[in-house]
Amino acid sequence: MNINVIEADGGVTHVVLDGRFDIAGAQEADPRFSALAQSSGSVVVDLAKVSFIASLGVRTLMVSAKTLIRRGADMAVCGANENVEKVLRSTGFDEIVPLYPDFVSAAAWLTSRQAEFASKKP
Amino acid sequence: MSAPEPLAHSRDFPGTIEAAAEAEAWLMSHSGAWGLPEDTEFALNLCLEELFINAVRHGRANRATISIWAEADRVRLEFVDDGGPFDPGEAPAKRISGPTDDFEIGGFGAGLVQKFSRRLSYRRSDGYNRVLLEFGAARDANAGSEAPHTT
Repeated sequence: MNINVIEADGGVTHVVLDGRFDIAGAQEADPRFSALAQSSGSVVVDLAKVSFIASLGVRTLMVSAKTLIRRGADMAVCGANENVEKVLRSTGFDEIVPLYPDFVSAAAWLTSRQAEFASKKP
Repeated sequence: MSAPEPLAHSRDFPGTIEAAAEAEAWLMSHSGAWGLPEDTEFALNLCLEELFINAVRHGRANRATISIWAEADRVRLEFVDDGGPFDPGEAPAKRISGPTDDFEIGGFGAGLVQKFSRRLSYRRSDGYNRVLLEFGAARDANAGSEAPHTT
């Protein structure tokens, strides 16, 4: 699985995955995601080119989301195909991380969350 | 003319995560040649990964035997392992629970197998777990013959 990390406008990190998020894919993704979750701001994980995911892959994303949330950042997912989305919803992943059809709408949600957070600071 | 792709396959794997990844590649090479609908192929792969990982991580299985059959309108997957007794049809379908920043992660496999297979049967015999799954698959009329045979 290819993992491409793009620093997008507005402090959002766009992580584009390409391939199968199977056991081999999760083993490749784990170290990359754990490094990202500890250092980056809010992240959009782009699954448009991911044809497969199972619970190991979901776990990789969940662990990173948890780390990001604890650091005051957020994660959103975009572009999941029907089957990938069914897996994400079956595990309840979408209750923690919102799913969007495309990068633009996911990034807009993250930007509005950041603004909301900043306005609440004393 | 090349020989038609056989409609049944079976193989033994050691009980390791590396072997589980190998089993996924093995399954894909056959299911790809069968010309299955995308949803069926996805479900088949997903269930294999969940069963294998459960058997290795929680059942401490030393080996697993995987068999697959393609028939006219369905595909079946049998997963046999020598790990501790585990019925994926009876295990609770877990979802994320707990607060947003401290939710519990794990145990999703059985729920996914229940959701993505059409039929699930389990029996424990002679120290082995035997899980038989069925998936719907309206196959391409040009792919393979109607009668399954073993290799």
